[in-house]
Amino acid sequence: MINKWSALLVLAFLSPVIGIFFGAAELSPTELYQCFVADCATPVNTLIFWEIRLPRVLVGFLVGAGLAVAGATLQNITRNGLADPYLFGVVSGAGLGASIATLLFDSQIGETLNLFGMLPNVSFSLALPVAAFLGAAFAVTLVQALAATSFGGRGENMLLAGVAVSFMLSALSHFLLFLGDPFAANKVIFWLMGSLARVEMWYAWIMLPVVMGSVMLLLLFGRRLDALLLGDENAKTLGVNVTAIRLMALAICAALTACIVAYCGGIGFVGLLIPHIVRRWVGVTSRALIMGCVLVGGSFMVLVDIVARSALSEQEIPIGIITSAIGSVFFLLALRQRQT
Amino acid sequence: MNHHDSTDAVLNPTNLQAQQLSYAVSGKTILSDINFCLERGQVLGVLGPNGAGKTSLLKMLSGQTASHGQVSWRGKALNAYSPLERARQIAVVNQLNENVFALNLQQIVRMGWLPHKTLLSRETKQDHQHLATSIAKVGLSDKTEQTFSSLSGGEQQRGLIARALVQKAALIVLDEPVNHLDIYYQHQILKLLRTLAHQQQITVVMSLHDINLAASYCDHLCILDNGKMAAQGSVENVLQASMLEHVFKIPCQIRRDDVTHNLRVDFYPPNELEARRQPEIVQFPQPNTSDRRDYS
Repeated sequence: MINKWSALLVLAFLSPVIGIFFGAAELSPTELYQCFVADCATPVNTLIFWEIRLPRVLVGFLVGAGLAVAGATLQNITRNGLADPYLFGVVSGAGLGASIATLLFDSQIGETLNLFGMLPNVSFSLALPVAAFLGAAFAVTLVQALAATSFGGRGENMLLAGVAVSFMLSALSHFLLFLGDPFAANKVIFWLMGSLARVEMWYAWIMLPVVMGSVMLLLLFGRRLDALLLGDENAKTLGVNVTAIRLMALAICAALTACIVAYCGGIGFVGLLIPHIVRRWVGVTSRALIMGCVLVGGSFMVLVDIVARSALSEQEIPIGIITSAIGSVFFLLALRQRQT
Repeated sequence: MNHHDSTDAVLNPTNLQAQQLSYAVSGKTILSDINFCLERGQVLGVLGPNGAGKTSLLKMLSGQTASHGQVSWRGKALNAYSPLERARQIAVVNQLNENVFALNLQQIVRMGWLPHKTLLSRETKQDHQHLATSIAKVGLSDKTEQTFSSLSGGEQQRGLIARALVQKAALIVLDEPVNHLDIYYQHQILKLLRTLAHQQQITVVMSLHDINLAASYCDHLCILDNGKMAAQGSVENVLQASMLEHVFKIPCQIRRDDVTHNLRVDFYPPNELEARRQPEIVQFPQPNTSDRRDYS
């Protein structure tokens, strides 16, 4: 067990280090080392190291960790191994919120509206994650409401409700983008693909507290989340307030997903893929699962990002395309495994 | 039916008490006018046909469903306990039909710690010892790392009983603990529960289908019929052929077993008993109770 954890820690340390070496500009290992311990040799190197490479690797790690943790939590509370923020409507909910925020705060329509003083005077960079969170929370509420009523609350149905909500909200945000001005649409199109290309250092400072706070809360409530795996009735007989725990976990998933989707778009299937690997390798109880997801999810995203940056020589591939391609195949494999 | 206040409860061993319990779902009466007391360390078997209200009664006794009337545990009304306090005293063993993420036996059993832990408290050495002894008591020490769903039905049931032990529960409520188990495990589980009850003074309440199993392992029986208490008391008092025939709608005879000297109930296919009692009328036998003594 200790060996596994140290292997994971090494992986989580090495993948960002490797990630820093890759990029369009060719920086030698000595130059990078110099940047890290002292000052870079040239101002260009400083720019590449501190403004491009390091933020990208850090944000990539946080995005992977956050999505994996959100996926694992959703899977635990729905007792369904196929749950994922992407399939669950959380991503499209956040996308809808982000689309609305973009239209209102960062486009012609927004400026027109603002003339009448209808919008609070907040910066776009703050409004974006808040709107994305509200959208994600809306999606979660909608899925919960659907699953609780006519769908009978079974895990399977909750997932199907999630897929339906996901399509509904995507349609809405597409429609809004269609109505909005072309520049906004161009800006928003990257949500649909998911990309780390525009990452800046301050993204990390917004994501870090959200991811760390969520992970700490989930670790704190780890035993109670485990009890949910036994089924609601059994968890209640152990004194667990099932409704409150589930609500808290859903809110955490919404917050994690929102702050990631708001800045990096809908990077799909990471939340499905990573928890499966971690369960196989590290363990199924919540605390081990969450820590494993942080380490494996973060490393995975950084490594996939290397591929995204270097697969095509001319330009980079949006990372969401790669994760979705890997994840969808994995999803089918997981489905087949469940049936046998 | 005695009324106890909390000072009385210390002197009086009555542990679990139900007074005037009734329960209805959307106008349909599931249970009505249920009263009983159970002493500490006793095994209560709840019997009755399907739909008689056994599961509802168990859910009320374990505080899972609210009811009209009062259930008191150790002299205090059950609904005056917080969910956590209740979980420290009362363990519920339901069948675990889904185990999605391949938890192993130990991970399931250690969940019994939950009511005794705050969010920050760590797992102590005593916790781990208690965990190990609880698993040893149900005889599963060599299977702790096995996936729960890979265990046999009997082992799963014993695992859940071990969880109740880890929970340090003074009352264990089990809904049909020997359902779907083969005869060997049926006896093994019930013997285990009886031993726990008598040696550790744990009160056990369970619903059962097999009257003879209940008669062999329970101290106290309740027979439910259509939500009403048809009979209750010691095994010797409760097992009456006329009452059982009325409740289960099937002819039966009661005899004393040669080996165990327990009472046994033999049920016969409808018409069969009468046919043998009155061989000349085979097709449409008339029940004739006066004849019964000759054949018993």
